[in-house]
Amino acid sequence: MEEDPRNGKATHHHYHHPHTPKKPRLIQFISEPEIRQEFSHHQSGVARINNGSFGSCPGSVLDAQKKWQLRFLQQPDDFCFNTLKKGILESRTVIKNLINADNVDDVSLVDNATTAAAIVLQHIGRQFAEGKFQKNDTVIMFHCAYQAVKKSIQAYVTPVGGSVIQVQLPFPVNSNEEIIREFRKGLERGKANGGRVRLAILDHITSMPSVVIPVCELIKICREECVDQVFVDGAHAIGSVLVDVKEIGADFYVSNLYKWFFSPPSVAFLYCGNSGIKCDVHHPVVSHEYGNGLPTESAWVGARDYSPQLVVPSILEFVNRFEGGIQGIMERNHDQVVKMGKMLAESWGTNLGSPPEMCASMIMVGLPARLCVTSEDDAIRLRSHLRVYHGIEVPVYYQAMKKGDSGPKDKDGCITGYVRISHQVYNTAEDYFKLRDAINQLLEDHNVCKMLPLEQKRYVYSLFYAFSCEIFCTKHQHLFHPFLSFFVLSFTTESSRKFVGSLRFHIKTRVICSLVTKK
Amino acid sequence: MRTTSMVTPLPIPKKPKISSFITQSEIQSEFSHHDPAVARINNGSFGCCPASIIEAQQIWQLKFLRQPDHFYVNELKKGILRSRTIIKDLVHAEHVDEISIVDNATTAAAIVLQQTAWAFKEGKFEKGDVAVMLHYAYGSVKKSIEAYVSRSGGKVIEVQLPFPVNSNDEIISEFRRALERGKADGKRVRLAVIDHITSMPCVVIPVKELVQICREEGVDQVFVDAAHGIGCTDVNMKEIGADFYTSNLHKWLFCPPSIAFLYCRKSAKSSDLHHPVVSHEYGNGLAVESAWIGTRDYSAQLVVPSVLEFVNNRFEGGIEGIKKRNHDTVVEMGEMLAKAWETHLGSPPYMCASMIMVGLPACLGINSESDTMKLRAHFRENFGVEVPLYYRAPKDGEVGSVTGYARISHQVYNKVNDYDKFRDAVSQLVGNRFTCTLLSK
Repeated sequence: MEEDPRNGKATHHHYHHPHTPKKPRLIQFISEPEIRQEFSHHQSGVARINNGSFGSCPGSVLDAQKKWQLRFLQQPDDFCFNTLKKGILESRTVIKNLINADNVDDVSLVDNATTAAAIVLQHIGRQFAEGKFQKNDTVIMFHCAYQAVKKSIQAYVTPVGGSVIQVQLPFPVNSNEEIIREFRKGLERGKANGGRVRLAILDHITSMPSVVIPVCELIKICREECVDQVFVDGAHAIGSVLVDVKEIGADFYVSNLYKWFFSPPSVAFLYCGNSGIKCDVHHPVVSHEYGNGLPTESAWVGARDYSPQLVVPSILEFVNRFEGGIQGIMERNHDQVVKMGKMLAESWGTNLGSPPEMCASMIMVGLPARLCVTSEDDAIRLRSHLRVYHGIEVPVYYQAMKKGDSGPKDKDGCITGYVRISHQVYNTAEDYFKLRDAINQLLEDHNVCKMLPLEQKRYVYSLFYAFSCEIFCTKHQHLFHPFLSFFVLSFTTESSRKFVGSLRFHIKTRVICSLVTKK
Repeated sequence: MRTTSMVTPLPIPKKPKISSFITQSEIQSEFSHHDPAVARINNGSFGCCPASIIEAQQIWQLKFLRQPDHFYVNELKKGILRSRTIIKDLVHAEHVDEISIVDNATTAAAIVLQQTAWAFKEGKFEKGDVAVMLHYAYGSVKKSIEAYVSRSGGKVIEVQLPFPVNSNDEIISEFRRALERGKADGKRVRLAVIDHITSMPCVVIPVKELVQICREEGVDQVFVDAAHGIGCTDVNMKEIGADFYTSNLHKWLFCPPSIAFLYCRKSAKSSDLHHPVVSHEYGNGLAVESAWIGTRDYSAQLVVPSVLEFVNNRFEGGIEGIKKRNHDTVVEMGEMLAKAWETHLGSPPYMCASMIMVGLPACLGINSESDTMKLRAHFRENFGVEVPLYYRAPKDGEVGSVTGYARISHQVYNKVNDYDKFRDAVSQLVGNRFTCTLLSK
């Protein structure tokens, strides 16, 4: 990966930005060692290929954040009266330009997409409660919408009479048309009993399984079919795909900045472009600024640390140290993750969950059928195992077999498990080789998911194996004490617990015992 | 064995060898990040955080950044439970389930009031049923009541409190009157929102007595807004007996911005409370919901054990000692200022905690809230004094009365010089025949 050209390839339509801000003439771009340095706080030895969940933040942005925090602590009253509002407005302006919004008044900063979902759904809930929407009106969303969004609907919409239509996202998926078809079917169901579809919630990039959704096309269809309002949950979007809110045309659009746009945890923007609606959209934490518009309400939700919202200009400085700025980063991430995804699929004899053009900086790669990922529990076990014993952080997804046995297969059976790998500027090819080799090792050792312990059960297994060893070792008491101390330590220090766990997998009990008997 | 799966231990801050309690110079060092040119006598608004706690917070932040998935799976929940358990003991709650951690009292108010709004929407409360609050309730809380209660059909009654105030009885009798108004026309008082310590003007309210009256008069729920409570006045859930109680920990308990706790007495109704930011944990109880409201920096919620260690090991008498010394000193300083300016205190010392209202000379011509904002900025920019000011409209027939009050505070980092600086600033203005009309718009 060190050899990769720094020239971005402007081939992918997700990245063509009509309003690229003029970048400063740099003498040279950020170097590999500088990138290592920026992310030197990441735990070494971990193949961090799950940028999607919690994102990443470079050292220079963290430093900028500390400066803001210090300014507040030095003289908080002066900060809140004279500095805070200006700083947040500056951040909102940077975002407005990035997303091609017309008006900075359309852009609010909130903690995260979860907060934005609460804002939008509270607003929808109020419409139902106040009789503006009727009891058989619906909200439509994908079945794989983020769990927090689903819970938010449960909290705010269903209690006041709204019902929900879930659109099955086909997966693995081969083309945008498959998604569009399913969505149209969903809209028909929504209008079936004479009700109106009041809100469509569309992921720009679904979380699990991860696929880029053709939001522009779906929103056109929504408008044709008289859907009242459209909310795009672009939690993964900014820094990962092009976000042009005018082109997309949603009423509400949210994206987290801490996932793919290098902000510290946490900050997101919520765009509300529809002037008819936005006057009655409120932050649920009501403060002095209630009624002064969502951006102003969100800029003061009581005394707290607003520093993540203030560093946005510093983030832009950081990304502009890369060739092509954020566009270049997006393109290179995409190219690399596709390349690595294909490498893994080839090594394992499996498939990709979607074609490259339906991915951004993450891609789903099928796991060998022999691993037997047969439930969500299996997926969790495998993920924990990879984290604890192999130093690999990657989310694992379980996809139930399709009816009629028509799903993807490898030489051993149906593919029901996928990893969601990501690529961000700090990744190297070694991260993906590590994953490749870990899975291949599990296959060689004839391990399947159900054999992998959940982390809590490790103690029990350690105990079991330690006792087994003890029984065999009683003839060899000179070896018993070291073993006993490992066994005791397994309950007292985390590292020793992990050692005993590792022992279980990497040195089979009978090997220990045969060594013992030999002595 | 693969070493890559082991978490490299992070450096633990070295505990100072404590042969005696913290010294003055050590205190100044802990707060050396405060602007040295400012007489910081407004601890009430934003609180303060010592350097050792900021360091502890940075360690937590780094833990997350190093390996966030591991942190989320293995550390976060444990850490928040530990903080909640410490708070539960501090405030004498029965059970840790009663303690949720949220960002600030503003968030806690939204949680409680949202529940009230639902009760109106679902018809449990009738339109026109009443929520009672103090006239001096915090601005944000008033807005929250408007957004959640009035909008859902509830009626709001404000308790007019006298200021300056001379005794608890004055407050109690006004409160009773407000409850009577609430119950007129056969309506019920569904919620009473009572400040433990009002913000502006700042007075300690006899909450225990008021909660008692609420129970006698059949008020459904009592919510005590003690934004300034913990670390400032006595906070005992069992004694106070409210249904809901919130207090910020970043104001008077040395936590970084920001963290508050919301206490919800275990009862059938407490299951109706939800955090407005709904996430995976929805329905698992408010405490669990509040411990995960999406990805964000939870470090301020995780340093509570470090804060208690700091306070209990380094200060004589721990938090109780700090409270007492703050109270004694702020009263002393308040009396010094009132004497120097020939004015008076806004309330008797027993109705103050770590803050006190001191009358400003009438000749300064404070005639509106806008005047207080401008004068406050004037003190900040030209005298290096940070102190909030309050405008008290003159009653009918009053002439030449005190219409402006300063709310001074005392926290461990303050020195007598801070108050002398303020005294001299005001005296200088008086000497120069300054009035607020001179301040530009």
